[in-house]
Formats: sequence, structure tokens, C-alpha cells
Amino acid sequence: MDRKFPQTEGYAIIAQWMRSKGNTPFGFQERTWERYANGYSGMVIAPTGFGKTFSVFLAVLIDFMNHPDQYKSGLKLLWITPLRSLAKDLGRAMQEAIEEIGLDWTVGVRNGDTEVKVKQRQNKAMPDVLLVTPESLHLLLAQKGRQSFFKSMRCVAVDEWHELLSTKRGVMVELALAYLKSQHNKLRVWGITATIGNLDEAMDVLLPTGKKKTKVIAKEKKQIDILPVYPDEVELLPWAGHLGGRLADKVVPIILESKSTLIFTNTRNQSEMWYQLLLDAYPDFAGKLALHHSSIDGNIRQWIEEALSEGRLKAVVSTSSLDLGVDFKPVDTVIQIGSSKGVARFMQRAGRSGHSPYEVSKIYFVPTHSLELIEVSALKEAVKTQTIERREPMVLTFDVLVQFLVTIALGGGFKADELLAVIKSTFAFSEITEEEWRWCIVFITQGGSVGKNYEEFHKVVRQEDGLFVVQKRRIAMLHRMNIGVIVSDAMLRVKFISGGYLGMVEEYFISKLKKGDKFILAGRTVELAHIKEMTVYVRNASGRAIAPSWLGGRLSLTSNLSYFLRQKLALSAHPQAKEKELNFLHPLLARQSEHSHIPAADEFLVEFIKTREGYHLFMYPFEGRLVHEVMSAVIAHRISRLYPISFSIAMNDYGFELFSDSEIKLSERELQQVLSRENLMRDVVDSINATEMARRKFRDIAVISGMVIRNVCGKQRNNKSLQSSSGLIFQVLEEYEPRSLLLRQAYAEVFNLQLEEERLIAAFNRINQSKVICRFSTAFTPLSFPIKVDSLRQTLSSEDLTARIAKLQERTLKQSKKRV
Amino acid sequence: MKLSEHPLSFGGHELLLTNQRAIYWPREDVLILSDLHLGKAAHFRKHGIALPTTVSEQDLFRLQQLLVHYHPGQVIIVGDLIHAGANKEVESFRNLALQFPETCFSLIKGNHDKYAASKLNELGISHYYDTLQLQNIHFSHYPVQHEIPTISGHIHPGVSVRMPHGKYLRFPCFALTGNLLILPAFSLFTGLDTRSLSEKTAYYAIHEEGIFTV
Repeated sequence: MDRKFPQTEGYAIIAQWMRSKGNTPFGFQERTWERYANGYSGMVIAPTGFGKTFSVFLAVLIDFMNHPDQYKSGLKLLWITPLRSLAKDLGRAMQEAIEEIGLDWTVGVRNGDTEVKVKQRQNKAMPDVLLVTPESLHLLLAQKGRQSFFKSMRCVAVDEWHELLSTKRGVMVELALAYLKSQHNKLRVWGITATIGNLDEAMDVLLPTGKKKTKVIAKEKKQIDILPVYPDEVELLPWAGHLGGRLADKVVPIILESKSTLIFTNTRNQSEMWYQLLLDAYPDFAGKLALHHSSIDGNIRQWIEEALSEGRLKAVVSTSSLDLGVDFKPVDTVIQIGSSKGVARFMQRAGRSGHSPYEVSKIYFVPTHSLELIEVSALKEAVKTQTIERREPMVLTFDVLVQFLVTIALGGGFKADELLAVIKSTFAFSEITEEEWRWCIVFITQGGSVGKNYEEFHKVVRQEDGLFVVQKRRIAMLHRMNIGVIVSDAMLRVKFISGGYLGMVEEYFISKLKKGDKFILAGRTVELAHIKEMTVYVRNASGRAIAPSWLGGRLSLTSNLSYFLRQKLALSAHPQAKEKELNFLHPLLARQSEHSHIPAADEFLVEFIKTREGYHLFMYPFEGRLVHEVMSAVIAHRISRLYPISFSIAMNDYGFELFSDSEIKLSERELQQVLSRENLMRDVVDSINATEMARRKFRDIAVISGMVIRNVCGKQRNNKSLQSSSGLIFQVLEEYEPRSLLLRQAYAEVFNLQLEEERLIAAFNRINQSKVICRFSTAFTPLSFPIKVDSLRQTLSSEDLTARIAKLQERTLKQSKKRV
Repeated sequence: MKLSEHPLSFGGHELLLTNQRAIYWPREDVLILSDLHLGKAAHFRKHGIALPTTVSEQDLFRLQQLLVHYHPGQVIIVGDLIHAGANKEVESFRNLALQFPETCFSLIKGNHDKYAASKLNELGISHYYDTLQLQNIHFSHYPVQHEIPTISGHIHPGVSVRMPHGKYLRFPCFALTGNLLILPAFSLFTGLDTRSLSEKTAYYAIHEEGIFTV
């Protein structure tokens, strides 16, 4: 450290304050303070629980105490956090520190929960520190007085940057930062992040310009203990979900021995199921066990979080809804049900127990089928080597850009050339072309490509002085209501007839229910009474009921984890495997080895299985469900090109199955052809319905770009005449403006996010370099069985519409004849 | 535009359902359609939602083609002629109506129709009813089961059809339940309701090339 810095007054005061609390600063905190004092921007990388917040926050305080004359009244530190729930506690902790240190700064919070009264007070006089979400920051930029809000600002901190990085909210942050930096050139920007696989890139995205930037990495590491929960015996033919229930009895003692336990599941459906399982296994949990997921009413969730903090709950079953957020001090044990699908998510969840810096985080892993035990071994390896997933930043998201342009036009206007320079300085839009920029400007001023086609369009207007502004009040209002990039499915609130909210369910789920049908939500069985104005009215019920399955609940295995999984599986082929998990699985693996084969790291296993039902072809790329979805469609398409055959397809994270009632015959050469890397993307496009996928992606894009007005829970009913579906708009654009950048973006998102083009290509490359092992069997193998059982089925079809209708008519005719 | 017809016996009358979202009633020389939602795209544009005018031009073009083909003495629009306020798209309806002076345009009032009768007159709508009865057929915008055969619109019926390979496709359709016949929305810029109808409904699904029963 620079010798002078520790002698500054600010440092002395802070060090003294920490000592008085019995703390000594961590090395990374001191380094951050010093770098900040020297005028750097940067990024702090540290595990949770080590005082990341105080590295940047105290740096600003020290600088202020050393140079009070350089600070004017008003907002000095803007703190961006992705979570609303985090802001309140963080703000309180900051205010407390400020008071103990003896400063007169005030800390304010501004987000969707903030009262209008408070916001108005802030508009008149900003607090010294303001905690915002990306959305509330954009709303500030959409206000007429925006210059005055930020005039004294010295630093912007972006908390949990790894959470924002690969999302459109991250792009919102990039745009806002670029705009703020263009207005205040001395602004320092600091990011705070957990470890991810692409830290350098993460910093480039946060700080694309400027030379004075630095990365501060904490040396401290969080210790994680991974403890698998073993079933009494190994099932030779495992299937997903089957094992879980039987392990509930083994989970109960873990909960009883701990002070407070968090139980993580992967889907809301699974969490509802486990809540019931645990109550059945140990009825005394009643009242001490809670259920937390994103469809449960906000008030109930808040109550659960408070009760958990105060140690009033023994355990909470949750989904990723509790991955992030405030620390729950009493929690000393974490249980993961089923695969966590990724290394980062697993570590994050583990870190929810044992908060103080040197405590060990304990996480139990409960497999839902015995094969998942291999994952324990893979996770241990990944954690040991700190192989954590990358977070890919999003680029050229034009929906976010056009929204931002209207935001800036609304809050006082912009000049096109000046703003283009700002936009280009971001990572996300550094590659934007002149033509694309012109398209965006035309989109917000004339509504689209051909001016004549869009008369009577009013959104942003170019004034005579060249300033782009929003003139109409109604447009301004609609835009402010719709700022943001989080688009959820149409959700209906669930309310008891007798009063009281229970939570939310997707419209899709409710549409399948009839009056009187029973379903489970928030751990209660209820009966559907009626639906009125986006609200589902229910009454208490008992007996058999279904748990809602929510769309988008399925996560896919990340490439990091699948890599280790393949390694461990290969290792398990050797009889003297050292690892306990692999030893335990020995009977299952022996069976696999006997009836088929255990693929080595450089082998690719293909199984042909003939059963009474028909012919099955199994392949095991271990690349996760998403990649398998595309891969299986491609393989099916390629085989059907060799000879006419149709398949039904099933898959899980380990492999996929093609099933047909006619024989699947492939010579060695044909198999190679089918697995070939050549013409891969062409075959992908031929085998999937890209238009349908793009249409689905367009749902979010339409809302973000303002083409579909959101309808939130029965509110905003005066916009009824503006309601339309994104599908309809997609269709209109496909037909009349096929060159729309928003359409192009929908297709790009399909290829980058849905099809994971890069990963798919990498997987085919790997398979092409592997030795292909073919095995024939007349019974399911341990690897194939869970796939067979998995119900997700998708079918291949490549006929055109008229032919399909003809076929359908023919079939309908045949059926009706039969009936006669 | 490809026109195909499907004969339907309804209330003792022979009707022709067309894949162009309208019904022709030869004996009465009436063209029946519903939910034109004129000016919807323009209304959206006025509120900053960028949609091309071509959408509504298509609707009017199709209407024009049907008028040229059938040369009906009367057109009955079973509600929702105009989506919201006045705008240029709405105006262009007048131009179309002027081209067919021998055709009489009637409108059954729909929930979107907020125009005064005098203003509708200017657009070329000569008759304006809450509900109407012609021969023994009753016309009303809202679909309600009546003792007498009824033709209505409002819900934009659609039907979800399972294709031979298991995928579902959605089509706009005519929906016949008992003696209630619901028209598909004439405008292409409208959504589909595939849920509101009972199990006893017969569907006549339409697509660009033709019309088929489900």
C-alpha cells in the first residue's frame, strides 16, 4: 500500500471505527479504499459474507473525509442493486455506519416499493446516498429535472454485477452508466461481483472506456462442505423424482439437528411437493416449515423472510427465489434437492449458510435419482478447482435501446449525434452500425421503415432545433408505466372468496382447470370457484389436487458441470474408484457396464434398444436438456433423410432418446454421417421450427420495445383498446416489415440463447473427435431408463401446412368411420 | 386472394361460409361479416405503437374483393366496425362504400361501436341496429343462445387443431353451437379466442387456401 494513504484522516477514522466494532479490514477492502482514493474505477471480486459492500461504500466515505471541500450538497453515491428486498437492509446498515462514524449523510432508497411522498421529497432534495434498481434509475432519467439529481454525484456502485451481467437489466445499467458518464466525466464507477468464469469480460462490460481501472480480488475463500444424502440402497433402474420422496425421512433429522434450514428445489412444482412430503414425514413441522417461491403472494413471502431472519422458522422450502437477497443469520444448513444444474448456483446456495467469513458453509445434496450422485462428485471437483460458469453479456438488444431512447427523450430530450456517441461507448452497442442507429431513430419517430406507412404515429418528435423529445402526455405516461425489461407471463392473482391473497398462477395453468378443480398453491389445497378480472377466487379444500406446473421452470445443465460429469462417469468405470459417491453407485454402474458400456472421457455412447413397444435409440452427450433438445431434433431429421421414419423424442440432462415403431438401422458410416459436424446449422434450421421459437422470444421484445402494453393484474384497464398479443404483432411484422431489427433480434436470441449455437457446435466437435461406441440391448440400461421415463415429448415434422391438414382430415375421417 | 366456399344449412337457409372470414347468403343476397375493427392499427400508432397501415389496407382490400365477387344487395356487419376513435383508416372505409352505391351497408351495434348514427351515415352506413332479424335469422353482436337461429360475432373464435405429428396449430373459424353461429373476426389484426366455446361446438376452420371442418 501507498505509505501516505494509511496516514490520511479519513483512513484513520474508518480504521478506528472498525476496531471499535472488533473488526479488522480485509486486505481487499483496504486495497479498494486506496485505489478509490487514487481516482480509480474498478471491480471488487469477493465471496459473500466478507464485507464486499463496505469495500466500496467506505472508500467513498474516506475520500469524502479527506476532501470534504470537493463534495457539494446532494447525491454523492448512487448504489445500483438488482434486488429491491436487498435495498432496505443495505440502506439501514449504511445509515447506521454513517451515524456511528459521526457523519451527517443521509441514505435513501428508491424503487417500486417507495412511497410517492418519499419520492417527491427526494426530487426536491436528494439524499447523499441513494439505493436504486436499474428500473428506478431509468425512471429517474425519464424525469424532466434529471440534471439536478446527479449534479454532485461522485461515484456509482453496481452491486451483484454478476447477476445483472448476462441479462437485459445489465444492458439497462450499461446504458445508464454511459449516459451518466457523458454528463459527469469525473464519475467513478465500481462494480461488486462474486467470482464468475469471465471476470475480465465482466469488467470490460462495466467499464468499457477510461484507463484508470482496476480489479481487486479478495484472497479469502469460502469453505464449502458438500454432504450427499445416500438412499438405503441403489436402484438399478433410476428414474427422476422417484427417489426424492423416499429420502424425506433422511432429510427430517438433518432439519431437526440444525438451527434453521433452507431447502432448495429447482422448480415451484417440486417445492410444493417437498413441502407436503416433509409435513407428511414429520407432522410436528406444522407452523415451523414454510414455502417460498416467486408465485407466492409478496406479503406472505415478506413475512417468511422476516420470520426466517428472526429464527422463528425451522426450515423453508424454496426455489431460486431465495438464492439471492438478505442474509438470514439463523440459517446454518442448506439442502439441495436434485441437481443444481450449475456450479455457480450450487456455490451460491451453499453460501446461504454459515455467513460469517470463516465459517464453513454446509450443503446437503439429496439426489432425486441415484445417478445424480455422480453429480456430487462432479460438483466437488468443480468447487475445488473453482471452475465457475461464465456469464455471457448481451449485445445489440435493440428492444432495450429503443426503450432507453424514449426514456432519454422524455427526460429533457437528446441530440442524435451526441447520444449515438454515448450508445457506442457501451459494450452492448459498440458494434452498432449507422444503419441500425437510423432504424432505431425512425422506429421511435415514425414508427418504422417506410415513413408513409406510418402516418399518425406519435412517439418521439424531432423539434426544429434538432432535439428529440416526447410531447404527448399520454405517451409519456404509458412509457413510464412500462419502463423495465422483466416480462413475466400473464399471471392471475389467487384470492380466497373469504378474503386474503394466496399468490399468483400463470394464466396458462388456470386455463386448463374447470370450476371445482383442486390445486395446490403455497402449500394449501384449494378449489377453483370462479375467475374475474385477472383474479382467481378459490376456497379451502382437501383431498387429491394437482400442483401447478409453471412454464419456464426447467433449468439445463451448464457446460462446466457437464464437463466434470463426463469425467467422473468415465472414472467410475474403474473398479477402484476412490470417491465414496462412485463407490456407492457401483452396483448400478456395474449393470451399465455389463449390459452396455460406461463411456470413457474420449468416447461417445450410443445404445440401440429393442423392446415390446418398439425401437429406441439413445445417445449420451451429457450437455444438458437445452442442447439435447436441438441435438435430438437434428439427429432425428438427419435419420429421416436417410429413409422415411418418424420419431418421438425424450430427453434429460444426460442424454436423449429417439423412439420409433419401425426399426432404426444405422450402419457405422451412416451413424458417423448423422453425428457429423458438417452442415450443422443448416440442419438445425431445417429441423426446428425457428419461426415458432422466435415468436416466443418476441413476447418479451414486444413488451420491452413498447409494442405491447402490459396489463398488470386488472389495473390499467383504460388501455384496453391498446391490448394486443405479441404473437399478432410478430405476424404483422413478419408480413409487412420483415427487416425490422426487433424481428432480427428475436431470431438472434433463438440462436444464441435457446439453441446455444456455440455450445452446440462445440458439442458436435467433441463427438466427432470421440470414439463412437455402439451397444445393442433388449432391455433398458441404467443410463437410458430415466430418459425413457421422462415425459417431455416433442415430435418431428417437416410437412407444410396443406399437407398436414390433408393428413389430419384423412385421419379424422378414418376415426369417424370406425365409430360408425 | 383465394376464395373458397363451404355450404351450410342454417335455420332452413343455405349459407356459404367463406375462407375470407365472411358469409354469403345467396337467397337474400347478403354478405355477412363481423369485427372489422377499422382503424385499430392507426389507433395503436397514435399511441406510439409502431404498426404498418398495410394491415388495415389488407382488410379493406379483401372486403372490396368480396364485394366485387358477390355484388351483394346488402352487407350486414355484426358489430365492432370501428375499433376506437376517428382516423384515416376509418375514413378509407367511406371511399370503399362509395364505390358500391347499389349495396346497402348495415351495422349491428358492437361494444367497440361508439359512433353516433349521423357520423356512421357519413361513412356510408345506412342502417344502424342494436339487433336485427331477417327472415327467421336473428343478428346480434354478442353471442347468446336464442330460440331462433342467431348469427353473432364479438369473441373472434379460433380453434386449436392437433396436427398429425402432435403439434397444435390455431386457426380462426366459424363456430356453430346449436342454433348459434359465431363469425370469425374479419380483420386480420385480431387475436383468437380458442377457449370460450363448449364441447358441442362444430368448427369450420379457415386458412388462406381453404376451409375445413374440425
